[in-house]
Amino acid sequence: MTQTPPQTQSWEKPGELRIGVFICHCGLNIAGVIDIKELVEFAKTLPDVVYVKDNRYTCADPGQDEIRKAIKEYKLNRVVVAACSPRMHEVTFRRTVSDAGLNPYLFEMANIREFSSWCHPSTPKEATEKAKDLIKMAVAKARLLIPLQTIEVPVTNKALVIGGGIAGINAALDLAEMGFKVYLLEKSESIGGHMAQLDKTFPTLDCSICIEGPKMVDVGRHPNIEIISYADLISVSGYIGNFRVKIRKNPRYVKAENCTGCGECKDVCPIEYPNDWDMDLGVRKAISVPFDQAVPLLYTINKDYCIECFKCVDACGERRAIDFEQKPEDIELEVGAIIVATGYDIYLPYDNSLYGYGKYTNVITSLEFERLILAAGPTGGKVLRASDGKKPHSVAFIQCVGSRDINKYPYCSNFCCMYTLKHVVQLKEKYKDDVEVYVFYMDMRTNFKGFEEFYQRARELGVNFIRGRVSRITEIPGTKNLVIHAEDANLGMPIEIEAEMVVLATAAIPKKGADEVARILNLTRGADGFFMESHPKLKPLDSPTDGIFLAGACQGPKDIPYSVSQGCGAAARAATILSKQKWKIEPIIAVVDPVKCRNVTVKCGICAERCPYGAIKVAEKQPAQVITAMCHGCGTCVAECPADAIQQMHFTDAQILAQLRAALEKDPEDKILAFLCNWCSYAGADLAGTSRFEYPPVIRPIRVMCSGRVDRDFVLEAFRLGAGMVLVAACHLPYDCHYISGNWKMKARMEALAPMLHKLGLSPERFRVEYISAAEGIKFAELIKEMAEQMQALGRERIKAENEKLRPVLENMLKRKEKR
Amino acid sequence: MPLKTLKKETAETLTLEWILHVKNYRLTLNKNFCVGCEICSLACPKEAIKLEKLPKSTNGKAQHAKVDINLEKCNFCGICDVMCPFGAIKVTVNNEHVLNVIEKESFPQLIRDVQINSANCAPECVDCEKACPLNLIKISYIKPDGRFVEDLKSLTTLEREWLRVDVNVDKEHCPCCRICEFKCPKGLIHVRKIFYGRMKINPEKCPEGCKDCLDVCPISGALYLSEADKKVHVNELFCVYCGACKAICPVNGALELKRTRIMHAPVRSGAWNKALERLTSPLETSKELKAKSSQKAVDVVERRLKWKEVVV
Repeated sequence: MTQTPPQTQSWEKPGELRIGVFICHCGLNIAGVIDIKELVEFAKTLPDVVYVKDNRYTCADPGQDEIRKAIKEYKLNRVVVAACSPRMHEVTFRRTVSDAGLNPYLFEMANIREFSSWCHPSTPKEATEKAKDLIKMAVAKARLLIPLQTIEVPVTNKALVIGGGIAGINAALDLAEMGFKVYLLEKSESIGGHMAQLDKTFPTLDCSICIEGPKMVDVGRHPNIEIISYADLISVSGYIGNFRVKIRKNPRYVKAENCTGCGECKDVCPIEYPNDWDMDLGVRKAISVPFDQAVPLLYTINKDYCIECFKCVDACGERRAIDFEQKPEDIELEVGAIIVATGYDIYLPYDNSLYGYGKYTNVITSLEFERLILAAGPTGGKVLRASDGKKPHSVAFIQCVGSRDINKYPYCSNFCCMYTLKHVVQLKEKYKDDVEVYVFYMDMRTNFKGFEEFYQRARELGVNFIRGRVSRITEIPGTKNLVIHAEDANLGMPIEIEAEMVVLATAAIPKKGADEVARILNLTRGADGFFMESHPKLKPLDSPTDGIFLAGACQGPKDIPYSVSQGCGAAARAATILSKQKWKIEPIIAVVDPVKCRNVTVKCGICAERCPYGAIKVAEKQPAQVITAMCHGCGTCVAECPADAIQQMHFTDAQILAQLRAALEKDPEDKILAFLCNWCSYAGADLAGTSRFEYPPVIRPIRVMCSGRVDRDFVLEAFRLGAGMVLVAACHLPYDCHYISGNWKMKARMEALAPMLHKLGLSPERFRVEYISAAEGIKFAELIKEMAEQMQALGRERIKAENEKLRPVLENMLKRKEKR
Repeated sequence: MPLKTLKKETAETLTLEWILHVKNYRLTLNKNFCVGCEICSLACPKEAIKLEKLPKSTNGKAQHAKVDINLEKCNFCGICDVMCPFGAIKVTVNNEHVLNVIEKESFPQLIRDVQINSANCAPECVDCEKACPLNLIKISYIKPDGRFVEDLKSLTTLEREWLRVDVNVDKEHCPCCRICEFKCPKGLIHVRKIFYGRMKINPEKCPEGCKDCLDVCPISGALYLSEADKKVHVNELFCVYCGACKAICPVNGALELKRTRIMHAPVRSGAWNKALERLTSPLETSKELKAKSSQKAVDVVERRLKWKEVVV
């Protein structure tokens, strides 16, 4: 779906502009510092301003009423409110003007509270001057505002859940219960995930498959759920409400519609191969199911091992379920929302020679231990040593193998402490005093309901907990017993303990293939490799791409109840989309001017390459097209476009340049022009205000949605007009950007620009790129202080002189651009 | 314990292993028995076995091809074990010689039909023992009390008359070449070959002076150097159609080997049909399948008639 610039008719022929300016006292919050009367008088002098009014509280009902009344009475067609931060009340006032029949996007705010009265209380005169500039900038932008319509896209009321582990199962069941059609895509032969591999669950020691099995059956039977198992995700295109998903079903060589799951084929099959579902401890047949409770209960032939004796065909007989000619099948689905629940993998520490995994026979991982102690496992629930098939009389559990290790996986894997406690309790309860159990740990993390009590239970059973990091494990050649060399932190000395078996609690790591899923779905991954949520606190289930949600351990290691909650939560989030016929999208998006787009004549495609969301499609010899519903409105493409052919609605070049010129009209040498990204730096500056951190009133801020929007021309124009300093502030690298990577694009752009400006004679300190988070109010205040001091140190004359030297070059550069 | 896969080679053996926590799969190729024939490589359903030509040894004689097994492809099904005419390959599970393909009737056992009427053996005749090219025959004498004779010469002539002759053939390693049958002076041995076929050496293509095939042929007497044309000729009477010669013949087409039938126990198996096709030819395979299906038709008719009889 693409869109031409909306409502161009009113834009090109604005008619008579009638701007109303409403100045808020905010009690004494603003009026206590700033001279409101002076502001009112000043506002009246601004071009196209026909009505100015001050209120005690503009945001209160009477204040809003005054706006509505004035719009009607004075036929206002633009409204500027000078009050608090737009992050606070922009939405409120948009609704107000909308109530009065004005397009909500014909409203602009001047932030004279957080950006002036609150941060410059001891310099009221300068604060007033700054407020004047802020109002002037807002009016300048308001003159160029154009009405925008909220975009609506249709919604397909179906969902795709990727991954059939416990998180995916719950997400699918909840959505299906709400009445939505759900496709549950599973890569392996059966749903169930890691939970189906486990023996018991902590801290209640419920049998894992006994509680998950019924859920799996529910999924298999639910009329609204279609399980697509043994299949791969190939591609996803489209946008919120309208995703097209390509899936490849791998051939099982067994027809789903004919297989009854009786297992007679398995009985006659002569071939066995290591069962990776059993962590390769045991074997399965070349035609088999990975475990008896598999859903769908559908047999699969592994052609890597099958010798094609066709005994299974004979055994299947009249059912005719076996089809050796089956081919991969590609299917296409249309869904409105996607839930990613692809889970995690367990780290196998082959690469860490200290633990001897893979080298010493009696060193196993916890998941292997899980399969050993499981009654349906390859040993029938007996814990046996691989070296001699005997029960060990001493077992050492080693925590944090790979986890909390700066050389491997620095994060905590969340559930290892608890599953080790479960294992030791199981072992102790099974073999009583016949087995000595040691646990080597760094910290025991038992911080949820019933966990600490469970830890207590393990201690009461006589498990030896030794606080200390294991330095290495060695094997005694004859007995194949192991010696654990460790440091006992409580004794403060090195110890050695001999054990007949060692169990390693290895890290939970991103699922193999997570990079592929990330690429297909345009997800971001953190430094740990897990998928990044849109916001760690307030949007823990959302991915950066609208309509795609995350659940369970794909986003970081999680235990079962946490994964279940996330699955249900993600289902609820997806339902907010699926329950609607239409989805509304804010119109602050990028729009390509097909006439200006270079791609028609030469091969360009820079915009498509730089778009963090893959929202721009560029066909050969065709102007670039923005897929409206995928565009998040960061404006990065706008700044990157070499032909200035793209505009961001509500943040057009003309609007931003108008703000910039208004800000630098008077005494530009004394001012710092700052571009602040909406989500981090602007919020950080707001925080400086609300925290009453005082800083010099020399800064003139321009809000952009993302630092990626900051065109190099803005910087050039600012210096051409003689700005004292220019600051571009962004979210922190590498992952804080709310538009995935807009800050990186800005960084690259500005790093190319800065040396050129220095070469032309600009003092390096006059052009700054900084990273300020929404929490760093103090950093913002300190930064402005520092810059103001530097500006003073440079001195007006020097700045002026530099500007004189720069101007002709900059003018030339900007003119050349205009011509094109 | 995580899965361990191993491949070890010594002068005597080639060993492949899957070591699982609870199970151990092992394939052992005994190089003392291996003659470098092509049977296993053709029979393997996973194409895991490859033959490798070796350079001539220092005495100028050709060496038989070397069998190499790919650990990634091998699934320890044991078909090579079943098919090796020389019994050089053993597949074991937990150190027991278990062949699932045979037990589940997914693959037929080869029929090694060697019958010796040792009751009528001439006293102290060891012709067959001497004749066996692979030294698989052991003749021993049993006293009336059932004990084996340790030293024949220590016995008196009278005592010798009471002895029973026991001819023990190591069938496991016997390729059924029939040499013993022909060498038995009293015609007491009856051998049926495992493989039937045709073998021809094309004199035009066969390079002069080359006798590589003769060097590697495991059955002395199956190939011979003709005095007349100084070239190697085939005595099909003894040829076991193993293809050791074909595997190393330096000239393409000089040696024509076709297997036409393989003696095997009756089974219905796709794996067998494929192996048969690779070992013989599609034509021979279809012949066997036709024979089987007509036999099946006969069985069905017989069964129905029987049923009728009962009803009538």
